[in-house]
Amino acid sequence: MIDESELLTDLKNAKPGAAEKVVALHHGFLLLMVRPLVGEDLANDVVQNTWVRVLAAIHSFEGRSRLRTWLTSIALNEAKALLRKYRREISLEGWGEDTGSPIADRFKESGRWQTLPHTWHHNTPEALLTEAELQECISKHLHRLPEAQRGVVMLRELGGLGFAEIAAELGISEGNIRVLLHRARQTMHAMLNHFEEEGTC
Amino acid sequence: MLTCWEMSELGSDIIDQKLSFNSRMAVMMHISMCKNCHRYIKQLTLTSDVLKMLPLPVQPQEVARVLAAIESQDQK
Repeated sequence: MIDESELLTDLKNAKPGAAEKVVALHHGFLLLMVRPLVGEDLANDVVQNTWVRVLAAIHSFEGRSRLRTWLTSIALNEAKALLRKYRREISLEGWGEDTGSPIADRFKESGRWQTLPHTWHHNTPEALLTEAELQECISKHLHRLPEAQRGVVMLRELGGLGFAEIAAELGISEGNIRVLLHRARQTMHAMLNHFEEEGTC
Repeated sequence: MLTCWEMSELGSDIIDQKLSFNSRMAVMMHISMCKNCHRYIKQLTLTSDVLKMLPLPVQPQEVARVLAAIESQDQK
């Protein structure tokens, strides 16, 4: 694990290599986070503007939230600014939709489990993430989620924004956000479960 | 009494603590008697924790490209 406060100090002191390190750590996240909001064509520009803003304003970041959460808020602002420039809005197609439970077939009609949940070999996030193959598999399935679900996962789980903040930023209800997040978690759980049971992605 | 299916549908409200008092009582009662739902909710929590910590590394060439682009934008 990277020590975030040390990285922050290095960034504030413009220590050689610090900018490389923060970009290497968070660029992939920022791109994946803004893509569902602004589309593939503007994503690179939004993230680049975000980095310019972040590196210029790093002295004002006091470390009260995780660095990634601060980056998320800045990227959201940059996304909105660029969309305004092109007179476009965040496309929220599919954001009000519930695709239904991805594990409905694991239950009997009575509502009891048909396919029982089994114990996993790994029982901490650290243990799960030490498996390189599994990390790659998680990333692959994250890319495959419906855009709205991926958008919410990126803002909430990886980005660390609160439900109310996401709802206010995007102009959709907290209820919708919670449904999208739940479906995404269930799909990602099914993927992890398959990996734990079969040992393959 | 909640069914296991209903428990699976409430999963994220349970782990995000978004339940009303009555629902919370019903969930606690179900979990105390059902090891399958206990396991599912625990694994769903673990899934959420994994996502929170997920690194999405980029290649060094990409990092160099981004830094060069930032620098050229700074000079404009």
